[in-house]
Amino acid sequence: MKKQKREFRIFTIAEYEQEQEYLRSQHQKGWKLVHLTFPGIYLFEACEKEDVVYQLDYHQEGLGSQETYVNVFKDCGWEYLFDFFGYSYFRKSAASMQGKEEIFCDEASRLAFIGRVFKGRMVPLLILFLLVIIPQIILQLGNLGSDPHRPILYLYLILFAVYAYVFIRFALQYRTLKNRAD
Amino acid sequence: MDAHIRKVYVPMTETGFYILLCLQQQMHGYSIVQKVRELTDGEILISPGTLYGSLSKMEKDGLIRFIREEEKRKIYEITSLGIEVLQKEKARIARLYRTMQEEQE
Repeated sequence: MKKQKREFRIFTIAEYEQEQEYLRSQHQKGWKLVHLTFPGIYLFEACEKEDVVYQLDYHQEGLGSQETYVNVFKDCGWEYLFDFFGYSYFRKSAASMQGKEEIFCDEASRLAFIGRVFKGRMVPLLILFLLVIIPQIILQLGNLGSDPHRPILYLYLILFAVYAYVFIRFALQYRTLKNRAD
Repeated sequence: MDAHIRKVYVPMTETGFYILLCLQQQMHGYSIVQKVRELTDGEILISPGTLYGSLSKMEKDGLIRFIREEEKRKIYEITSLGIEVLQKEKARIARLYRTMQEEQE
């Protein structure tokens, strides 16, 4: 059995570029990604040190087209690893590339990608944020007089902060891509 | 051709143009990549994410249609709407080229 290690990392929805760099640097140090478990436990296996580019795509395909989807990447020399919350993980060794390769070759398709992420991941969060977290905070603030509610209020305030962080990161990443495209 | 198609595809990306150009014949994804590499002497390498995204979007918008599956690879072909868009793009690029030539003289 090969040596393995686990690392805990949280990358929010829009931090896929940081995640790709993290996985690449692990491979350069001789650790290849094998598995990813919720909420962010990365399982690595010892391997040869190599420069391997990791890339994430986002598609919510029906089961029927998953295989044809993966085959497009395989044909282009990308190894498919697994899906995690709608993200598909791919890797390709830098040595086998013609120059610098990524799974997207123009800014229009990068923007389309982040648009899919927005629809698939951000919209549900926004709905939860607007319909649950905000009303709960207002409700709990109205109940401040009775002490037992305090912990619930704090819990929602923490959730509020986490959500706000995720939204801001997403907005910043979107702006970065948009600027690159213009 | 409705306003949406015109807005999204005229003008279109270089990758989009090459995909439509290739799909005048029935082809699957990777054969488009190979064909474009050949046509451009290796200058343009279409990436799989861009390719797959474009194919699904063009299929949804009715510019190309899914023909059949062969060895787990989807084969597509251009539709009459796709041909119409392609003609418009060809005319635009031809005009661009003519203008460039005239300005050089």
